[in-house]
This record gives sequence, structure tokens and C-alpha cells, in this order.
Amino acid sequence: MEVLSFIFSLLYQYADSIALLLLSSVGLIIIFGMMGVINMAHGELMMIGAYVTAWSYHAGVPTGFAIIMGGIGAGCVGILIERLIVRRFYGQLLASLVATWGLSLVLSQSFLLLFGPGPKGVPTPFGSFTVGQLSYSYYRLVMLASALAMILGVWALFTFTRFGVQARSTMENPEVARALGINTSAIYALTFGFGSMLAGLAGGIFALTALIEPNFGQSYTVVAFITVVVGGGADFVSGLFASALILAGVKTIIINQVNILLGQVAMMVTALIIIRLMPTGLSGYFERIRLRVGRR
Amino acid sequence: MLSYARVDRWLSRFNGPQTIGHSAPFWGAVLFVIGLGIAVPYIVGGYDLVNFTGFVLMLFLAMGLCFIWGFCGILSLGQGAFLGLGGYTYGVVGINLIEAQGNTDVALIAGLIVPVLLAAVLGYFMFYARLKGVFVAILMLVVTLLFQTFLNQTAGVQWHIGKAYLGGNNGLGRFSAGITELPSLKLGIGDLVYEFVGTSPAFYYLVFGLAAITFLGLRMMVNSRIGYIMVAIREDPDRTEAFGYDVRLIQLLVFCVGALLAAFSGILYVGWGGFIDPSAFGIYNNILPVIWVAVGGRKSLEATVVSTIFLLWLSQRLAIGGEYAFIVLGGILVIVMMLAPEGVMTSMLDYWARWRRRGAASGRRTGDI
Repeated sequence: MEVLSFIFSLLYQYADSIALLLLSSVGLIIIFGMMGVINMAHGELMMIGAYVTAWSYHAGVPTGFAIIMGGIGAGCVGILIERLIVRRFYGQLLASLVATWGLSLVLSQSFLLLFGPGPKGVPTPFGSFTVGQLSYSYYRLVMLASALAMILGVWALFTFTRFGVQARSTMENPEVARALGINTSAIYALTFGFGSMLAGLAGGIFALTALIEPNFGQSYTVVAFITVVVGGGADFVSGLFASALILAGVKTIIINQVNILLGQVAMMVTALIIIRLMPTGLSGYFERIRLRVGRR
Repeated sequence: MLSYARVDRWLSRFNGPQTIGHSAPFWGAVLFVIGLGIAVPYIVGGYDLVNFTGFVLMLFLAMGLCFIWGFCGILSLGQGAFLGLGGYTYGVVGINLIEAQGNTDVALIAGLIVPVLLAAVLGYFMFYARLKGVFVAILMLVVTLLFQTFLNQTAGVQWHIGKAYLGGNNGLGRFSAGITELPSLKLGIGDLVYEFVGTSPAFYYLVFGLAAITFLGLRMMVNSRIGYIMVAIREDPDRTEAFGYDVRLIQLLVFCVGALLAAFSGILYVGWGGFIDPSAFGIYNNILPVIWVAVGGRKSLEATVVSTIFLLWLSQRLAIGGEYAFIVLGGILVIVMMLAPEGVMTSMLDYWARWRRRGAASGRRTGDI
């Protein structure tokens, strides 16, 4: 029984780590992975989502809808950012990185100045259950489930809908897409807004478990980039899952055996080694294997 | 004999196509600025001088980033890692050796070597993996944030290196002796030791002199053979490789120089304020140099120096009026990236040069900047 409950607690932490990685990078696979924009303000979009969620909740909106409000709020801000700033930086990676980094500073500092240290937190719903000696929150499992649902939704949207096909063709070849009558400028804005909305939803989901303050998003930005880069660009969904499974696995084991800090360092080092060995990321590596097997 | 030809020949090693300015008026202006810098302690007193010293010592960080990003195309969002590590290493070694040796020579050297070693290891991983520029940039940010996280949780007394207690959020200090003040720069051998007290004009002259030497040294470097290769790597790494240059090795070396300069800022910062805490690794020491360099013009050491001093002064003025400083600086960065991606000063000089050329075409007097 001891052993079983230990294994369960390890699995629970693993699921929690996976949920963290997936949720923080779900918006970024669209904005960075698909559109090729380095959005250093990704975490600040999550922060906005968290703020709107908390405000909505304290205004009497039920928790679930409050999170959706957070997503909508961040999505609107995202469309605004795309129209005003990001639009000028398509195809210029370093310039978009520097500009959006400046933007992230402006956003977090403005929130600090306008709203002080942050809104009151939102209580974590769903209660808890006990396995062995330890009690666990149901909400953490809901987080993982919603991360999976969001990624599935992204995949379905870009595979089956008219908007998804138009968006993919725009990112693939904007000139041809425009020649075929697609309003590429609107598609860019909507895609960026959609990615921002997912970031906002993730922020809202985190808002129920974390302290909401202006620097809320900072740590998520780098985590999201690591996860997406390790996943690679050949196939976002499989790459993201593989990357989250590996990185969260390393992190969980080291945190359990040593401490939290070394867990983060180990995750970083793992990411470095994977990028060193597979410069195109995990999904690029899978693709190569698939091609090699196919040729035989 | 000081003839014009000799001066010209001597200056020629600092001039070249990689840098703006090679005329007599330009070098006259440089001499004027150096003269002004020497005169500063006589013009402003006490508090303002200490303040100004704080600006000048950040020039190493800024020039280092300008050198690696503007001339070799390596953007790093984590120069604070080298600044912080340099400062911490200097402090730790200094605390341990100051009583036995009576100087901080070893601490200074250690504070330079340790960050460069870190840069060499990280650079080996990044450049030899042929990591794309944006990933190098983000990875450096991750590294510096990890340092900050680590040092933030070292408040306990078990976190000490010899007599130096890391002290977590409170900053590095000599906890056991009840002193949190870190040793100031004491350079020399044996009895011939001079203490550069952080608030003194002597310390200012040390920092200013080193900054001037660094400026000239970097100018010489970017106009030498290696400078040409650096610019070639910035413009097209693949073609540079095809010409037979080892792009990875040069990137690694350039990155280490950037780290060395950032570490210098860190050491001088500790010598100046006698204090360092984990926020040295934090977001501001990483984003501010990027703002200084990008706003002035990343491809110009001169523009970097001017914009660094100006923006540091501006942020201090703004900080007095409230918490607007970072909003304004971030806003300036975004606007400059949109309207003048090459930097404000570089763009202005470009306009001027074009205007002059147009003047030349219509028969007016011509000249070079």
C-alpha cells in the first residue's frame, strides 16, 4: 500500500507537470509554431487572462465562465497587438523578439502601476480526494484534461474547418493565398488573436491555483518556448506531446529525488541536450525516422 | 614630433568601414567627450558623481552586447547572467581573501574568469549545435533566470562559501561578522595597494579610463581582420563558412568577449555600491542593455555609448517621478523597433549622409562624416 500510494503521488505530480507545460505552450504552438512570431509577451497575455478571470469571478461570474472571459480578454488584446505591432515583424525573428520583449515590459509594468500588486485570488474548485496518507486536488486533473481538450480543439480547428485551412495556406504561402481570394491580413490577425485567446484561457486556468501578480507570466514564457522548441516544427501536436512527456518526466523525477530548483535545471539541461542532438526538435526527428522506415 | 600624418597613421587602426566616424571633427569630438569625462568630478560633486559613475560602469555591459549583437549577430537576452556571476564571484573571493592578502586582485581576476568559463561552456553547446539566433537569445534568458531562482533560495546559513554567505534575497554578505558591505576594489601588490572607494573620484577615473580604453579596443577589434569576419557572420553565416572560416569558433570567442565585458560591469558594480543581490540576474539587467543598444543603434559603438548614458539618465529622472521608468523604456524600445529598426542615431546619420550625397550630386561641397 505504501508503494502504491508513492507511485500514485509520483504519477499525480507527473500529470501536474505535463499540464503545466501543455497549458503554457498551447497558445505558443500557434503564434510561434505556425506563424513564426517570437512573442515574448506570451506570458503577459496569460497574465491578462488571469486578471480578467479574477475580476470576472469577483464580479459574480461563475468560475468556468470567468476563465472564458479571461480567454476573450486576452484574445482581444492579442488582436490589438497584432494590428499595431506584430504585423510589422513577420519574417524578422530577432526584431519581433526584441519588440515583443519591450511590449512585455510595458504590459507587466502598466498592470503594476494601474492595478497595484494584483487582484484577490480565485478559490480552487472541485475539492480534493485522498490516496494513502496524502490528499490531492481534483482541479489539477481537470487542468490536464482541459489542456488535452484545448490541444485537440486546436488540431480539429486547423484540420477540419474552413478558417483552419485558410490559415494554414496563408502561413504556407501568403502570396498564393491572397491570389486565391483569402484575406490574409485578417487571417493573420485572427490566428494571432486565437493563439492569444488560448494563452488567456491557460492564464485563467492557472489563476485558480497561483498568486496573480503583474510578473505572473514571466516564468511561463520561457517554459513555453522550451517546450515548443524541443517539440519542433514538423508536427506540432505530436512534438508538443512528446516534449511535454519527456521534460515533465525528468522534472518530476529530479524534484522528487532532489529538490525543485534542480528539477528546473534538469529540465533545462534535458532540453539543451535534445536540441543539441536533434536540431529540428523531437517531431523533426520522428519525421526523419518515419521517412527512413518508409524508404525501406 | 607630432605631425598630422603620424596622428593620422596612429588613428587609422581605429578607423574602418565597420565604424562610423573617421574624420578630424569626429576624433575632435571624441577628444572633447574624453576631456569632458575627465572634468566631470570638478563640475559635479558628491552625490551626482557617484550617480554618474553608476551610469559609466554599465557601459561595459552595453558595449559588450553591442559587440556581440551589432557586429556578430548574436543576441543574448541573458547578459545579466555574466554581470551577476562576475559580481558574485568577485564578492565571494574578495570576502575570503581580503584579510589574508590585503587586496582584491585575485577577486577581480576570478570575477572575470568564472563568467567567461560559463560563456565558453554555454557557447560551446549553443554555437556548436548551430542553434538558431532566437534560441540562443531565449536560452540565455533561461540561464540567467535559473541563477536568480537559485540565489533567491540561499537565505539559510548553510549556503556559504568560506566566509561569504550567499544570503538569498538579502544579498551577498559577511553574515558571521555582521557585515553586509562587500570589499571595495583594492588593487596593487604587497604594500603598494590603492583602495578605489566606490564613492571617490579615483574610482570614477578608474571606471571612466577603462571604459575609454574598452571603447577604443573594441573599435580596433571590429576594424581588424576578425571584425570583418564577425560582420560577415552577421550578414551570412553560411557563406562565411563556405569561405573557410570557422563560424562556430568565432561566435564562441565573440560571445566570451561579451561575457567578459558584462562581468566587468558586475565587478565594478559591486566595487561601486558594495552590494549585490539576486536581482542582478533579474529581468532588468537583461532587458535594459537590449534597450540601450537597440535604441541607439546596435551596429555602432558610439551610438550605444551615447544612448546608454542618456537612457540611464532618463530612467533615473523618471524613477523620481513615479514608477513610469520601465513603461517608458519598454515603449521607447517598441516604437524604435517599429520606426527605426537600425536604431535612432544610426538612422539619423544615414539620413544625414544621404542628404549630403544629394547635396554633392547638385554640386555642393562634399565631405565625409
